[in-house]
Amino acid sequence: MAYIEHFSVKTFKQQLSERKISLAFQGIFSQDVLALIGKSLRNTPESRVIAKRLFAIVIEMAQNIHHYSAEKQYSEKDGRDIGVGIVAIAEDEDHYIITSGNCIIKTEVPPLIERANYINGLDADELKKFYREQRKMPQREGKPGANLGFIDMVRKSGNPIEINIKDYDETRSFFILSVKVNKEL
Amino acid sequence: MENFHIDGSTYIPRIDFNAQTGVLELEGESYHEYTTEFFGPIFSWLEDYLEEAGKTITLNFKMSYFNTSSSRRFLEILTMLEDYQNDKGGNVTVNWYYEENDVDMLESGEEYSDDVELPFNLLPY
Repeated sequence: MAYIEHFSVKTFKQQLSERKISLAFQGIFSQDVLALIGKSLRNTPESRVIAKRLFAIVIEMAQNIHHYSAEKQYSEKDGRDIGVGIVAIAEDEDHYIITSGNCIIKTEVPPLIERANYINGLDADELKKFYREQRKMPQREGKPGANLGFIDMVRKSGNPIEINIKDYDETRSFFILSVKVNKEL
Repeated sequence: MENFHIDGSTYIPRIDFNAQTGVLELEGESYHEYTTEFFGPIFSWLEDYLEEAGKTITLNFKMSYFNTSSSRRFLEILTMLEDYQNDKGGNVTVNWYYEENDVDMLESGEEYSDDVELPFNLLPY
């Protein structure tokens, strides 16, 4: 079969290990998947606080995909459509790098970039203030998320979030979000 | 009034609200995908419980992790208790437990204690 010739598990494994990718998940981000990722992550780094920060960021990214990915699949178990996407954790000498990727509707791109830029421009005190302001706001109609994910990612990581947008098809873009977490507290 | 209890699991906290003693406990992790759905019955129970004025209530909060969506729900619970204390002569204390060295959970407790006017004890364990 042709696809076996084109897909080499060995090359794939090599690529993962060269980039020090310790975790990668592609597919439906159901509740069970989240719990499993959580379990595998929690005790990875030596510092419990850093492990929890990685976990927190992965959960926020995964839940963004779950709720807002423009590509969805029906989950029998959950009884609803659930977002599809990718989350991966890689590392370099000083950081863990958490990246997510999912489709979003093209018109949603500018407001997301604007929000990310705004949040990236705040210092620690301003972030704290903004987080608390937003948390007090009423839940947004029809949006299950708390609208706090980006702020939390920047606060927990101590670094700006990075956004990359790639074309996907006529109506959708592929939205890539990366956050670096310092290995030292 | 009936007590309210939920056994915790991987992504939902153990919840134990005792109507007789006024001790309300939340413990574990909270990252349910749909926190408005999950916390719905909890808010209904609290609304009923806070009907009657003048109760003494202790909220023991011992979470090791919660997502941003849960953090909204917790603020709503605290705000309900704050209103109860202010409007209905309630006597509310919040015990915020955090794992020793968990600077993030300590900071969360500090932020909630700034957001609501309730006596807050920050307690390392």
